[in-house]
Amino acid sequence: MTGGPATASRDWTRDLRDALGYPLTSDARLLSAAVVALATYVILVLSSFPQFSVQVLSTDPTDIGYAVTALTREVYLTTGYLGLALVATYAVLAGVAVTNALALVQRARRRSVSTIVGVLPGLLAAGCASCGAGVLGALGFVGAMAALPFDGNLLRVGGIALLLFFLGRAGDPQTCSLDGGGRA
Amino acid sequence: MDEEGNITRRRALIAGGSVLAFGSGVAYMGSRSGASGQHYVPDTTHAGSGTTGFDVDLDGRPIAGERDAPIDIYYWTDYLCPFCKQFETETLPELGREHLDTGDARLAVLPYPNIGEYSTPAAVWGRCVWSQVADSDPDAFWNWHAAAFAEQPESGTDWADDEMFAAVTEQTAGVGLSAVETCREERGATIRERIEPNVAMAQESRIQGTPGFVLYNRDSGAAGKLVGAHPYENFADAIDQVRRA
Repeated sequence: MTGGPATASRDWTRDLRDALGYPLTSDARLLSAAVVALATYVILVLSSFPQFSVQVLSTDPTDIGYAVTALTREVYLTTGYLGLALVATYAVLAGVAVTNALALVQRARRRSVSTIVGVLPGLLAAGCASCGAGVLGALGFVGAMAALPFDGNLLRVGGIALLLFFLGRAGDPQTCSLDGGGRA
Repeated sequence: MDEEGNITRRRALIAGGSVLAFGSGVAYMGSRSGASGQHYVPDTTHAGSGTTGFDVDLDGRPIAGERDAPIDIYYWTDYLCPFCKQFETETLPELGREHLDTGDARLAVLPYPNIGEYSTPAAVWGRCVWSQVADSDPDAFWNWHAAAFAEQPESGTDWADDEMFAAVTEQTAGVGLSAVETCREERGATIRERIEPNVAMAQESRIQGTPGFVLYNRDSGAAGKLVGAHPYENFADAIDQVRRA
């Protein structure tokens, strides 16, 4: 990499913009990003009170709507609109990250092992998305989040920052990524 | 043109619209209140006595329903817990009308302070209010109980303090603030100590959050567990299962 921090930051911003725009390049990608975003939101919200979610879903799986609605309200009452907005943002970014990671994996399969370096950041981004969900779930229930700094919003901001960082690092999965972000 | 590999206006619009719809949907679900505006006051309320077959100490605890009801519902709650408020406003009225007032089951209110710093003091307030009105006017306890939950604001746990609970107590007909304050001073420590064994029972039953419920068949000894603000139908099913077990 050449250039100072300003150039690196400009590159990262451009790469992030490209990464965020990638799901818009085909209907299938857009659909996959939407499905993953929705699924991530459902998982995040249900994992805020796992015992309740498991009981509701095992009694009647069609009650998933009730569980998601009730727990969305619970997340809002515990952490406010900011907390809810962060969860929703996290879900949308996870949708983009997973779609981009899938594209990177497909490209790596078509090409050679050498591109695995380019695939890694994308996989990390996707991994980060699922890890975030796991961390929230491991905390047990929304009550526990209330004990964290800013009702757990700090943790959510951290998750989003990490996701944005990896998305920007991976850039547009259609282009080659060498030496940690430069274009080939 | 809707070319593969290009960012088209149509897809950008669909994505923008979807994100907007998703955000609005989440905001709507978050702000939607299912509360009926009415709170439940049982037809009969009694003070519990002794320890049950499930090892829950009911001595002097507020219990909604008939003393000889065949099913016990142990309800662990916290006045600072929004999910408990949801149970109180959306499920308890129907559960009360269909199962407590009919003599099918009785519901014991047990504190499980777990949400904020004021959870335990709030539980002590509740216990002191109940001690004052248990014999004379048990309905006043339920009015106070509902009023305390109604004070929960839209977000956070900062609302709960001595001043707020004193105001709720003062505004509830049939409850004297000075008697409750005296109880808090004189019996506060004992009440706190007596909360612990029942919380330990909840934890032993693997109830990790509030509201938490154990349904116990007093004849057969069968028990079931519900955690969270389940819809009324799930309670009705659980009561039916425990009754038949």
